[in-house]
Formats: sequence, C-alpha cells, structure tokens
Amino acid sequence: MEKDISGTTLRIAQILIDELKLEDITPETFDPDLDLVDEVGVDSMDLATVALVLRDEYGIRIDEDDYPKLTTVRIIAEYINNKLNSDD
Amino acid sequence: MISPAIEQKEQKEYKFSEITADPAVRDRFKKVRKYFFLRESTYDMTNRCNVRCEGCYYFTGDKQFATENSDEDAWRVLLEGEKERGITFVVLAGAEPSLVPRLCEVCYDVIPLGAIATNGLQHIPRQIDYRIHISVWGNDHTSLKIRKAKDMLARQTANYHDDPRAIFVYTFNPVNIDEAREVTSLLAQNGQQITFNMFSAPLGYHGPLRHTPETLARTRKVMSELLRQYPETVVYSPYNIVAHTSEKGLHDLYSCSYPRMNTSTNVGLGRSFRQYRTDLNWDRQAACCVPDTDCADCRHYAAGSAVVTARMYRHAVNPATFKAWLDYVDTYLAVWVRGYEKGQNLCERFIEPPAKET
Repeated sequence: MEKDISGTTLRIAQILIDELKLEDITPETFDPDLDLVDEVGVDSMDLATVALVLRDEYGIRIDEDDYPKLTTVRIIAEYINNKLNSDD
Repeated sequence: MISPAIEQKEQKEYKFSEITADPAVRDRFKKVRKYFFLRESTYDMTNRCNVRCEGCYYFTGDKQFATENSDEDAWRVLLEGEKERGITFVVLAGAEPSLVPRLCEVCYDVIPLGAIATNGLQHIPRQIDYRIHISVWGNDHTSLKIRKAKDMLARQTANYHDDPRAIFVYTFNPVNIDEAREVTSLLAQNGQQITFNMFSAPLGYHGPLRHTPETLARTRKVMSELLRQYPETVVYSPYNIVAHTSEKGLHDLYSCSYPRMNTSTNVGLGRSFRQYRTDLNWDRQAACCVPDTDCADCRHYAAGSAVVTARMYRHAVNPATFKAWLDYVDTYLAVWVRGYEKGQNLCERFIEPPAKET
C-alpha cells in the first residue's frame, strides 16, 4: 500500500530543521524541491547525520552511496517511500 | 589498556538515538559536529625543497614540473575564489612551504583555518597561525640516510620549541619503526606533540620503505606502546592504529572519497576538493591529498583524516564502533585545527573497521 508521501515530506522537513538548526522556516513552508546542497548549504556530514535520524525514524537502511543523492526533501521522501513499499 | 585483539562487530542492531544516549558519546558527538563545516583543499606552494627524501610523493609524477607561480596577487585571487566556493580549510604542502612564507601569509589572510606540511628546517613566521605539521622520518641517523640532511630532529625541535602551532608527524616505514620510541621520548621531554603517519608508496615505488604485513604488525605494536606510555604527547587513538596498520589500505577499508577515486560530484569531497599545483591549476583525475601515491598502499594520515571521517554512517552501528569513530575524528581535529583540544579516547579496544552497509 502507498504510504502518505505528504506526511513523510513534512516529517523530513521537521528533521532537517531540527538537525541543521534552520531558522525562520517551518515544515509547512519548507520548499520540498529546495536543493539542500546548493541552496541550503548542507554538506555530506550533515546528510549522513540526517540519514541516521531517518534510519531510526523509519527503520530503513540507507545505502552509503545513496545518501549523497538525497538532495531535496521530495527526493528523500520518495526514497523512503520506495524503501517502505519494497519492505511491505 | 589497549586490547591487542580486534573486536568483532556486535550482532545487535542499535538505533542512532540509543548510541547517542550515552552522555559521553553525545557530548563528544556535539563537540566534533561543530567542525562539520570544514571543507578542505590542498595547495602545492613551491616546487622547491631544501631536502630530497627517498620516496617523497611530491617528486613523483608530473606535478613537480608545474611552473611555479609566486605572484602574491595571483594567490590572493585564487584563495578568494576558494573561499567563495565554500572552502574553509587549506592545507599548504609541496614541496616545502616554508620557502615561500609570504604566499603562506596571503593564504592565511584569506582563509584563517589550515595546516602547513613542512620539514621544519626553516621556521614559519608566528603570524601565520595555522597548524604546523613537521615531518619526522626517524632519528637523526636515519634521517641523514633517507632525507640526506644532518641533525634534522635537533633543528626541528629547536625551530618549534614552545610553539603551540607545531605537531610532529612521525612517518613509520620499515626501517624506522623502533626509533619512534627514541623520538617520542625526546618530544615528551620537550613538551611537544607527536602524531603518526604511515609511509604510503608512490606509484611505481618498490624500494625498502614499502610496508609489508610484518612491518605493519610491528608498527601497530610500537604505536600501541607509545600511545599507552605517552598519552599527553601522542595525539592518536586505538582506532587510528587499526585504520592505518591494517593489511588493507584505506581505500579498501573505507572507499576513498577524494575525487581521484570518487566520481560523484553531488556533495562532500567529490564535489569541493581540489589539489592545486604550483601553477595554480588542478586536475580532477589526480585530485587527492597525496597525488601520485599508490592508492592500494595508501595509509596516509591526511587521507585517513578525510576518508574515515566521511564514513560516519557505517560506524553508527553499535556503541563501541561509534566511539572508535569519534576518537578518530577527535584525533583528526586535534591534529589539524589550531586550538582544538583532544579529549580522552572513548574506546580503548581495537575495533574492526565496519563494512559498507548494503
């Protein structure tokens, strides 16, 4: 069954805001297509930290070669949804 | 006490939140995380050197033949461009940066975090407040044979006496393993710091300095002994010892993330790292911290500092492995960043490097 991707998107935005200590933004106002590397200034170590929090939250393993590709909230949400769907 | 046996990976799967629930782990993670903003590139400052060492990586390959650009304005423009593209940490190296102090000062003016790799024979002015890495290849008898320079250690320690920028980098090779005791003892008496490097063969090098399984094992034993005996002097951890004295090199253990071995340009070193030659050009195909080193034999301390650190995700599998990784990163920051104080190692055991999760 398809998981609710909009809920996932909001939750990922909240995790990013918490982990990266982003200010003046809420999950609702977080543009899911914002490039986290080019436009937010996220680096590989930040992405690795976020990947660990996502691993905890969703119980999925993220391939080490994959998380550098997870560069927008939407891409992360789709990745997680695909993982969760393939585990069903 | 460091256990001599490698500890096997635990079977239980831990959440990251469980691992960081330990206050010591959480505090150390917070401490090192403040430095995740560091983004490095390296710069060959001059193609001249005042010694000529056997197995020197700089004088291998074609980078040594690059034209030397000593124009201060050109360097300033380069560094300002580097800052603009997000570089926050510079490593000034090859061949001997102390011969061009004005260029080093220009770099410091623009990007104030960095390190200089030097042979220590010429003092670098104090106003250049980078970490200074002074290379040591044995006692003075061995240095005379390999580096063809007299009284190296005596001159190095005198030049950098009572200088908090300085850390001595002892490069272990098969012929100088036992001399590390003498060198470390001397530095301890002087109140100076030492960390360890491993000779990593340049491409095509088949001389006597290339490590073998036997010399790697002996090196591991001596490093362990010195870390235990001189905890105030030796800036290292048990996991550093494992990572740098395993029969497998760093690339085999951790998948090197420098552009030379990593085609991804999405994020991290593959995106931002450059290795500039003395003509201020760089080549992605050759870009790593020790170009012209044989990747299969690379156990270089600078490579490990980036490559092991980048593999946080795979180390967050159980408390012991994550503590070992934290010790490694804490060591790397203490070695490279001025003013960063290393904490006590959290994991005193030898931990097996974790394989990539799939």
